[in-house]
Amino acid sequence: MRISSAMTNSSFFKPETIALHTGYQPESQYGSRAVPIYQTTSYAFDSVTQASSLFNVEQGGHIYSRISNPTVAVLEQRLAALEGGAGAICTASGMSALFATFITLCSAGDHIVSSEQIYGSTATTLRYTLKRFGIDCDFIPINDPKALKAAIRPNTKLVFCESISNPGMEVSNLPEISKIANAAGVPVVVDATFATPALNRPLEHGANIVVHSMTKWIGGHGTSIGGVIIDGGTFNWGNGRFPEMTEPYAPFHGMKFWEEFGPTAFVMKIRSEAMRDLGAALSPHNAFLILQGVETMALRMQKHVANTAALRDWLLQQDAVSWVRHPNIDAPDHVAEMFPHGAGSMLCFGVTGGRAGGAAFINAVELASHLANVGDSRTLVLHPGSTTHSRLTPEALEAAGIGEDLIRVSVGIEDISDIISDFKKGLKAASRVAK
Amino acid sequence: MELTVNHQSVYIATGGKEFDAGLPTVLFIHGSGGDHRTWALQTRWFAYHGYSVLAPDLPGHSLSGGEAFQSIEESGPWLNTLLEHTGVNKVHIVGHSQGFLTALEFAKTHADKILSLTAVGTAAEIPVNQALIDTAKDSAAKAAHMMVNWGFGPAAHMGMSSVPGMQPLAICRAIMSVNPLAADLQACADYSGGAGIAASLSFPRHCILATHDKMTPLKSGKTLAADMRCDVSIIDGYGHMLPLEAPKKTLAAIRHFIESVESQRATA
Repeated sequence: MRISSAMTNSSFFKPETIALHTGYQPESQYGSRAVPIYQTTSYAFDSVTQASSLFNVEQGGHIYSRISNPTVAVLEQRLAALEGGAGAICTASGMSALFATFITLCSAGDHIVSSEQIYGSTATTLRYTLKRFGIDCDFIPINDPKALKAAIRPNTKLVFCESISNPGMEVSNLPEISKIANAAGVPVVVDATFATPALNRPLEHGANIVVHSMTKWIGGHGTSIGGVIIDGGTFNWGNGRFPEMTEPYAPFHGMKFWEEFGPTAFVMKIRSEAMRDLGAALSPHNAFLILQGVETMALRMQKHVANTAALRDWLLQQDAVSWVRHPNIDAPDHVAEMFPHGAGSMLCFGVTGGRAGGAAFINAVELASHLANVGDSRTLVLHPGSTTHSRLTPEALEAAGIGEDLIRVSVGIEDISDIISDFKKGLKAASRVAK
Repeated sequence: MELTVNHQSVYIATGGKEFDAGLPTVLFIHGSGGDHRTWALQTRWFAYHGYSVLAPDLPGHSLSGGEAFQSIEESGPWLNTLLEHTGVNKVHIVGHSQGFLTALEFAKTHADKILSLTAVGTAAEIPVNQALIDTAKDSAAKAAHMMVNWGFGPAAHMGMSSVPGMQPLAICRAIMSVNPLAADLQACADYSGGAGIAASLSFPRHCILATHDKMTPLKSGKTLAADMRCDVSIIDGYGHMLPLEAPKKTLAAIRHFIESVESQRATA
């Protein structure tokens, strides 16, 4: 299986080459081939003149690592190139990337349209936290064009969805969603964590802003928390709906971001405002660790996808498995269009024996790690019915789309025969409980 | 700021400071498919160091209204009208690529209004492959893709950026894709006579050229400098998009020249 090797809009190198080289050339003093870790809070100015020129935005450069850092900048430029964006900014986590995006585009009185199929913490931010600040959100079935058109209001500032939803694994129809939202003058923000740019680049399907939790497949090794926001550079912020982008910003030289920066207005606004206010900077060391993951991402994703397909097909044949959910099963047409090389490495299945069977499966597997994360190189499993959602009644679980028997799997890159052997133990244990 | 010139709105970046016609003024003119953001990392320095800045979006480009010029010859008189609206009598002009040709056409009839002229990544004539023009007529985005490939030097292709987190190739592509690239390229292709005007100039002038310029090759730039009888700053390792890909070095060369001209004016 071959991962997409088409060029992006930001580089004439292929993605595998971008992942290894973009944004860094061996520095002059020591010629370090690997990207150095600039573990520093701040940067000595050559002179008062140089310092003032940095503060006046007369030139680019680094002032303080809460705002920018050389190691982090390499990761930003690499991810911007991988997604085909005009610029990127890294944050301390995927959630801080989302929060920075929301508060950069929205003020009190504004409105967000979100897919109803999104990660629980993101839903909580949209439903509760932002509401306290006067920002409303409507949750809709995002692939329903009529619902989307009806939900967009004059004060709607963004449409939000996940390219592959967590945990529902619904693939958002980005070409259709983007067409509707952009025609209404509203940008589309996509959390593409489950996809990675190796499998799908949302900007090429019409989206305007891409967000990742790099903690997952981009980092890939389960070592570091991090997030990133990529600005596609294609949205017209001067359409009258975004005074935040077009009116003078008093705390920053009265700058009008759209006039000044055009295609990078959004990401420059985040660096100037949200990074200052939230302080959610990615540490240089985490940036370095995530860069190691980026370098092998395309290779890892091939293996992730191949293993997932093999495990999915095997599970479908097991008597102890009542159902399997994966984006490529009974997929609508847009899934193949958006994910020609496979729709990620997450799957869910129902195990025999209900809640007790699920718990037995988890207790029996030895290779798969039982934890609340996804996107590690190792296979991860979770039984929401006995962990994250254990306090819910069976009825409430069903309403949330989480059956008592549901096992969530983030398929790793171990040898597939070892994964299957491990799952056989789990299914055997579940079967014993079911009898 | 915005002005109305020939009944069309014109957006003019002023480097983050209010425009003051009483200060020495530097006029920056962008190239084909570009806009004022070409000069983002040069204009602010001048605005914050005792100069006034004018960096217009040419008609039909980005934030300005109207239609793109059909010929370079049209752009010179327009520039004169623009300056009359600002109240500035004399300016330093910095022109990139096609923007320099516009400056030449202005110089042809209004040399008395020019304090100095800096040519950046350009030549007296800029021949354009017909296939590129035809591509631009079909799709500015496709032509922008080709121009970004040829226009930037090796560092930008490696994803290097003087502004953390940015991708200059993608930024340039985004701007060119929404601007009248076909008209600009056709105007360049049709233009001749630049060498004669360049040879006639007598005010201070300077050329800033790049070793890896594939669109206006270094050889053409050196010929222009010989015609203009002026000094040349050659920036090593960069391509045609000097203001974007080598902003500090480009600014340093512009500064050095304009400051020397201002110094001579002060002592004259």
